[in-house]
Amino acid sequence: MAARFSVARAARQLTSQAARRPSPFACQRWQRPQSIVEKRLFTVSAAAREKKYTDDHEWIELSDDKKTCTLGISTYAAHALGDVIYVELPSPEMEVSAGEAIGAVESVKSASDILSPVSGTVYEVNSALEDKPGQINIDPEDGSWIAKITLSEEPEGNLMSAEEYKAYTEDA
Amino acid sequence: MAPSSGLSRVALYTGSLTRPSTTLASMSSMRRALSSWSEKVGDAANRVQSYISRSTDPYLNLSIEEHILRKSPADSHVLFLYVNRPCVVIGRNQNPWLEVNLGLLDGRTPAAATTPLIGNVDLVRRRSGGGAVFHDGGNLNWSVVCPKDDFTRDKHAEMVVRALRKLGVDRARVNERHDIVLDQADRQSDSDPRDTHRTPYTSDGDGDGAPRPLKVSGSAYKMISQRALHHATTLLSSPNVRSISQYLRSPAKDHIQAKGVASVSSPVSNIGVDMELFKETLQHEFRTAYGGGDTQIVGDELLENDSIRKGYSELRTNDWLWQQTPQFTISLQPAANIELIVRHGVVHEVHHNQGEDGRLSMLQTALVGRKLHEIRDWSAFLKGHIRPWKKEDNVLAQQLQSHLPVLQLFET
Repeated sequence: MAARFSVARAARQLTSQAARRPSPFACQRWQRPQSIVEKRLFTVSAAAREKKYTDDHEWIELSDDKKTCTLGISTYAAHALGDVIYVELPSPEMEVSAGEAIGAVESVKSASDILSPVSGTVYEVNSALEDKPGQINIDPEDGSWIAKITLSEEPEGNLMSAEEYKAYTEDA
Repeated sequence: MAPSSGLSRVALYTGSLTRPSTTLASMSSMRRALSSWSEKVGDAANRVQSYISRSTDPYLNLSIEEHILRKSPADSHVLFLYVNRPCVVIGRNQNPWLEVNLGLLDGRTPAAATTPLIGNVDLVRRRSGGGAVFHDGGNLNWSVVCPKDDFTRDKHAEMVVRALRKLGVDRARVNERHDIVLDQADRQSDSDPRDTHRTPYTSDGDGDGAPRPLKVSGSAYKMISQRALHHATTLLSSPNVRSISQYLRSPAKDHIQAKGVASVSSPVSNIGVDMELFKETLQHEFRTAYGGGDTQIVGDELLENDSIRKGYSELRTNDWLWQQTPQFTISLQPAANIELIVRHGVVHEVHHNQGEDGRLSMLQTALVGRKLHEIRDWSAFLKGHIRPWKKEDNVLAQQLQSHLPVLQLFET
């Protein structure tokens, strides 16, 4: 009885907190604000090549010859992270395997892994992010890419089109 | 079914590893116990788990925590409590030369110490973000691993505030930095006791002279694919509370320009609550939120687990501790005429203004490509490279030694 009462109280507390304090910094849930998906469509339109998305919110874009790709984090992820204050880039020539961390970002005391969905060797990193990490909140799917990778094998695994990724983040 | 009123329900971990000469029979029973622990953590049916460590080794406790983050079921909630021996823990992307008074860590009292030293203090770089903190036996570390979809930065700090208030700490609340503070103002007005972000002592004015809230708990987070880790300190009864600030104040502070993450320093206080009582109350609060039953005690025996031992060894490498440091520039002007640019803990560029006599090229030859943490005696090091040795070179060596002291922390 006592326990059930305190569960109910805890639940009330959470809901009442959420209702009363819509402050932007207090409760950054890993959950997309409504407006992002529309915004993202505009940023994507600049790219002629098709981006593919992972369920961990990274994107890759293959080169025309399909031998290299560019990797970054999605607009959805950039919003969920909050203000990014440091981007831990891979070292050039680092070898990565699909599913491994290729770097990390730090935002609001949180370190978040960036995972590579592909295997290969890093040949270029976006050093501009060393000086201006916050730029990744502004154009994560364009100028603020993370790394370029020479593929050692064809990408496999669960990669989504922009449409599929949009549906995936709306379900989240 | 629902948690009973009994607070203390602790199951002792059975695998024991205390004697140096272990028999074959006990080795094999130990291995069984270990694999059963690891299996238990990863068991999909085990959706609420609670552990407490009897080890005070910060490297081990962080590695157990990392194992729980990576191996527990995707939809589970796990509470882990531990107390570390005295150590300074810096965030993943911080600079130890900038954040820590490295010269104090070995416990030999230098003239510069403003309060008594504690003895040997470990230096640890954790895998989560955030700033530098001090741990000792009066500080309880709590961590909650939960599904990322379910995560907010405040949720579990609010849980801890509820536990503190049950123990009568009615000034405790979660602040805008997701830390827990004790309000210090006079009683202002009634507040909703369920509101974990406000107390009757919360002062709304900034410049009205009300005493600042004192920080008692600091948070940091690590996110992986599907899971989120929130861990935090809780200063219950640290005997060293007055010494903490001198450990977190670097003599090089005014000379280093660093990328990465700078700490935000806050005045701290003990809460003054009994450690055992707080652990029980917090475990109870966790069960109230998520259900679940017994708490399991773990310890040094988990070093026999391959993934924990690997994580433990990684945390204790110079690579992780020093070379993970984001790029920085140290300039010792005006006392000494030198500027170093350091990338990944390695000297990348040297600038020196007395270039005519070949000093600059001697310094470059000596320093470029050198790992900064490997130079322990600057005077001896520089004397091996600079000829002829002049009087002003003593000043240079002395400045470098006092601003970049590095201790032998691990056996290499």
